[in-house]
Amino acid sequence: MSANTPDGPPNRFRQAMPQYAAVSPFFILFAIFGAFPVLFSIWLSLHSWDGIGQLKWVGLEQYSYLLTDPSFWKSITNTLLIWVISTVPMLLLALVIANALHNATRFRSFYRIAYFIPNITSVVAVTMVFGSIFSNNFGLLNAFLQSIGLDKIEWLSQPWGIKIAIASIVAWRWTGYNAIIFLAGLQAISSDIYEAAKVDGASSRQMFWRITVPLLRPVILFTAVTSTIGGLQIFTESQVLFGSSGAIGGPGDGGLTIVSYLYDSAFGKNQFGYGAAIGWALFILIVLFSVINWRLIGGGDDDRITSRVRRRANRKIAAEKAAADSQTAGKEHADAH
Amino acid sequence: MAVSRRKFLALGAGGAAAAAGLTGCGSRSSLGAADELSMWCWTGSVNDSLIATAEKGIPGAGKKLAMTRIGGDYKTKVLTSLAGKSLVPDIIGINDDVATYFPNADQFHDLRELGADKVEADFLPWKWKLGITPENKMLAFPMDTGPTALFYRRDIFEKAGLPTEPADVAAAAPDWDSYIQLGKKLKQAVPGSAITDNITSIFSYALAQLPKRYMTAAGQYIGDADHIRQAWDLAVRVVKEGLSANAQSGSTDANAVVTNGKLVAFIGAVWWAQLGPKNAAPKTKGLWRVTPAPGGPGNRGGSFLAITKYCKDPEAAFAFITWLESAKNQAESFLDPVLFPSTPASYTDSRLTAPDPFFGGQRIVDVFAESAKKYPGAYFSPYDTIIGNPLSNELVNVEIGSKSSDQAWKDAQHQITRELTRAGAI
Repeated sequence: MSANTPDGPPNRFRQAMPQYAAVSPFFILFAIFGAFPVLFSIWLSLHSWDGIGQLKWVGLEQYSYLLTDPSFWKSITNTLLIWVISTVPMLLLALVIANALHNATRFRSFYRIAYFIPNITSVVAVTMVFGSIFSNNFGLLNAFLQSIGLDKIEWLSQPWGIKIAIASIVAWRWTGYNAIIFLAGLQAISSDIYEAAKVDGASSRQMFWRITVPLLRPVILFTAVTSTIGGLQIFTESQVLFGSSGAIGGPGDGGLTIVSYLYDSAFGKNQFGYGAAIGWALFILIVLFSVINWRLIGGGDDDRITSRVRRRANRKIAAEKAAADSQTAGKEHADAH
Repeated sequence: MAVSRRKFLALGAGGAAAAAGLTGCGSRSSLGAADELSMWCWTGSVNDSLIATAEKGIPGAGKKLAMTRIGGDYKTKVLTSLAGKSLVPDIIGINDDVATYFPNADQFHDLRELGADKVEADFLPWKWKLGITPENKMLAFPMDTGPTALFYRRDIFEKAGLPTEPADVAAAAPDWDSYIQLGKKLKQAVPGSAITDNITSIFSYALAQLPKRYMTAAGQYIGDADHIRQAWDLAVRVVKEGLSANAQSGSTDANAVVTNGKLVAFIGAVWWAQLGPKNAAPKTKGLWRVTPAPGGPGNRGGSFLAITKYCKDPEAAFAFITWLESAKNQAESFLDPVLFPSTPASYTDSRLTAPDPFFGGQRIVDVFAESAKKYPGAYFSPYDTIIGNPLSNELVNVEIGSKSSDQAWKDAQHQITRELTRAGAI
């Protein structure tokens, strides 16, 4: 209306309309395919629903069942164990590989591509290959163990074997990816620092732990957080290894992860409300772990680094001062005599 | 590819329009054009040439068929479309978990109202009954079945000095007890031999022979009763006797035990012939035979067709499914994709009675037809999956040695009680 009154202020919203219209497709699509399902899943988690009939309001019953559900707790323990035994070696190995790539002088692009290939290979295909490697009776790994005189291990039947098998698929797939990210971080570190360290007589080991790792911390934080989110969502590996019908987590539910339990509840047993509740529990867990990661590895990064530097500087100044004091004291002492 | 500004805007507008189209449509409609009947099935559930005929024009219905073969997560897609209440296919294929649709029978046409009684006599009575809800509404129409029998390796039986001809084997092992004795002899003669891939196979096939399962039609839970415990104990016994290959289902081992000849006998459903030896061990062609299973006839698997309430022309849809599932056309589906007919008239069709070279020229259809005709039939409840999964999961725990049989049984019953209570079934 103000646009029609000649002496009124120009309608800023109206002026900006073309711009809003131009950016609107994303927001419209996001609202429909992103925001709506998220909000609906909250609504759904307060209901009991078999997928066809009417939604039945049950309030927080799904959540209270969740808290007393042994399978749910088992899925959390499984997921965390798989996450630890995959992520810790994976990130360490990725750091070593990145360092080697950084210092490599020949075939650098080839190595980079070679390390990245596992990540773009279909996880289903990868899992099938690993399935035949770890297979109990006729697996390659057991054939190898037996050929060197060891007993075979029932990788895909025993709870620990299952977790190691899944963790190794995860690690195989993501090590190269993280190494490439680390490499990018490494290349951002100025070579001046290394040269200065070399001049000061630092060994390569000292340079790695004293320069590379501290300066890479933001990148390490990034990989740790993404690996945590990925690790808490492990699903395809156990699903392909053990099939989707019936025992989705494998023998003894040793490979039952949170997402596979969610999938099984919603799409296997058609308890969509319960599935939604598991989804929200997973969301809370991911937030929790991201915060923990942040605190452990990067929390208040600037603060912590500067405070440490400050402490170190203060110590140095104090030491110098003490040295100078004792010197002057000595001098004064000498003078006095 | 560089996207020009005009193109970008056009794409954006198109996307927005498509999004509006998806959400704005609130009408309750079925999928497909007015002169078409839409149908969803999973891959390998129908004969392709019959469908191709119907796509040109359904015999006697004045409409054409628009068939979609859904890959992966079939049921989820069906449920999604039913939940959306719009663009629902006219006809859907349903697997042997047909009872899970019973609580939502109002989403489907009662096939009796469309005249199903007229063709009832053509079908196996127990199969016909599986598609009828406890409220006596006919929700699903029979497609194929999964009669069970004993598959065995004739050459290994000969090596072990056991009877080799189907009739003699059947006479030597009429029940599970004698079958286990036979299995022990096999193992003695040919070390490493197994009569099942894993513990759950024995349990499932023993259960598939019983006239009752986990619930009564009145809704009472009987999954803790003696008949289930006996099937359970039988499965445990086979493992304790060392006759299981311990190759859990879904693992690569499960195929490997067939390929490398460890699995020398197996009580399986008719579809196992294809999934098991023919696919996994083509080199054993001519060595396998089939004979009636110890413990009696049984059935595992088989599927159905249902007409949703959104169907634009229920009469035409019904005409189509009766045509597709006629004895003549079911016989055609046996050739490809190997679906065993639910119409006894098909069992004498020359396409089924042809000798099977993989089974040494045996007429295997005779064995399965007997099993299909004599199977007592059992009531499948909407909760059978919820009940069955804990039982088979706990059985696996017994086989891998992580629990005692009694403990596993107790844990399974505890979990079932919890799940059924939550589902409001007990």
